[in-house]
Amino acid sequence: MDLVQEPGSVPDKSEIRSCFDSQSGTLDRRVFADQALYDLEMKNIYARAWNFMCHESHIPNPGDYFINYIGEDQVIVVRDRQGEVQVLLNTCRHRGNALCRAEQGNAKSFVCSYHGWNYDLNGDLIGVPGLSSYYRKDFDKSQWGLAKAAQVDHFHGFYFATLDPAAPPLHDYLGEVGRIGLGLLVANGPVEAVDGVQKNVIDCNWKIAVDNLFDWYHVQYSHASAGMAGFMDLAAILHPNDQMVMFGEYGHAISGPVIPEERQAEIDAMTDEERLAVVAEGMLKNPDKPVAPPRPSAARDLLGPTGVRCMGHPNIFPNLWVSTNGTQLSLRLPRGPFATEIWWFTFLPKGLPEEIRKKQIAFNAHLFGPAGMLEQDDGENWSQSTRTSRGVVSRGYRHHLAMGLGHDEVMTDDAGAARVETTISEHAQRWLYRNWMDWMTADDWADLKANRSPVPQGRV
Amino acid sequence: MSQAKAVQAETAGLDAFSLQQRMELQFEIEQFFYAEAAMIDGRDYRTWLDLWTEDCSYWMPIRRTVTLSDIDREFTKRGDMSFYDDTRAALAMRIAKMESGSSWSEDPPSRTRHIVSNVRIMEVAGEEIGTEVAFLLYRSRLNTEESMWAGRRVDRLRRVDGALKLCGREIYLDQTLIRATNMSTLF
Repeated sequence: MDLVQEPGSVPDKSEIRSCFDSQSGTLDRRVFADQALYDLEMKNIYARAWNFMCHESHIPNPGDYFINYIGEDQVIVVRDRQGEVQVLLNTCRHRGNALCRAEQGNAKSFVCSYHGWNYDLNGDLIGVPGLSSYYRKDFDKSQWGLAKAAQVDHFHGFYFATLDPAAPPLHDYLGEVGRIGLGLLVANGPVEAVDGVQKNVIDCNWKIAVDNLFDWYHVQYSHASAGMAGFMDLAAILHPNDQMVMFGEYGHAISGPVIPEERQAEIDAMTDEERLAVVAEGMLKNPDKPVAPPRPSAARDLLGPTGVRCMGHPNIFPNLWVSTNGTQLSLRLPRGPFATEIWWFTFLPKGLPEEIRKKQIAFNAHLFGPAGMLEQDDGENWSQSTRTSRGVVSRGYRHHLAMGLGHDEVMTDDAGAARVETTISEHAQRWLYRNWMDWMTADDWADLKANRSPVPQGRV
Repeated sequence: MSQAKAVQAETAGLDAFSLQQRMELQFEIEQFFYAEAAMIDGRDYRTWLDLWTEDCSYWMPIRRTVTLSDIDREFTKRGDMSFYDDTRAALAMRIAKMESGSSWSEDPPSRTRHIVSNVRIMEVAGEEIGTEVAFLLYRSRLNTEESMWAGRRVDRLRRVDGALKLCGREIYLDQTLIRATNMSTLF
């Protein structure tokens, strides 16, 4: 089998199906280093999935826009005159020029800098220079509006878009686990974006960055220096034997620490005032520590009995990480097999006391992003893991992702979320790559819905 | 009035200075920045840290590509997200990380070269001197990674017991998307 193919060729489904072996928990490194697979990811994953666009507070007023990507397709996320959020492909229908060249801003309309075609905020083509004189009125503007996302929706103010009209509604796409994952962002109340998205490019495959967010095994070693420098007590955040993995629809998953049932019972017995006091005291005594639970009592209704105990890392398939304790989102935007843009968004509850707000922002700035005490070293590891996959002999050796395979029993709560509660494991990474194969081999949404891997039951 | 004097006269707080005094101050500050750059490039981070006052602030906002009409939103502001928002303790933490033996982003260490130029004295206020410089920071990592960061630095110096110390640094990069695996270096 050789997945290195002529440009434009499509990898064979059986070859894709062999990339991850669920029995042995091993992964073919070619998933990180193959242009044909990458091209298929753009079509079969990104052009079909619901992709995170921005939060409502990024674009509060009509004309406010924010540029994002669906795969490598650039989109304008804009609030139109009616207050609706539109997601438009950022490419003029005339000669393809990008309409917005800024990352964000406010516009009355989108005028192309090439020939001056002018589009309304909802994508309608409203102005074409020379319509009478050059086109001799032989042109129908109504047919040449901007291409739009097939569906746009939001969950607690977090906007998503899909280019595929056959995609299920966002609510169903997220499923219970995806909704818990995003729910962590608003578990302490409604949030607003803190201004500023950190963006950098890492020379790694996007999936290396994604599967790493589930990986609590690397923390003690990759990030040892952050602990030694006194930035954070890694042992205190790791809880290696109180770990939970939740398996969601279409490849969403959550992996990481879980609040033990006994501790949650203590939290449940506290009033909201008592909980807030614990959070505030912790923050103010330890200026470089994150806001930690106890979450307010309303969080139980929002997240459910299992979700409220979740301290782990959700990934909304394919590439949206809800970071620790729900104050940040990280997008991993593919830029070819060997490069990924990393974007960090920060969200904080509205009305947070100023002192706590300042400390949380400073903590987030020190944690992740290219200068972050943790992420500095992630970039180094991910880029080298990707680079070694380019060696024709090295890439013949499969990655080992079998930690804990066959040792855990799936539990399901009343809300239907499947989970294991266990030690540090690689269950979520295995779930990710199984689902990656489902997406990559599906002909369309109907095929994916019918033939995807069922959420695990029994022994995993 | 000479051309040099006309330009310098715009600097706040320098009215009482003779041209000779201004030149001496300019020389002293330039030599300070050259020595400081050599400390970072020579990996003498502890000596570098001693240049900073206890109450110092070290900050790099996020820059964005915006249209001229939105230009006041080009940089994030204090209290928003940033790349660096460091106290002296945070700078010490970064150095302790590099020295830990487990700081994979700096072991093997990067090779850096700070080129500091266009040094301007913007303000003299008592013991503090406001300056602006242009910098070019070249970094080479492992065998093939190269990063180049250009920008403007707004540095605040304070005379403590006769010696110059750094009490503030604002770093305004000329990049928006950071085209590097990380920023594990000191600016």
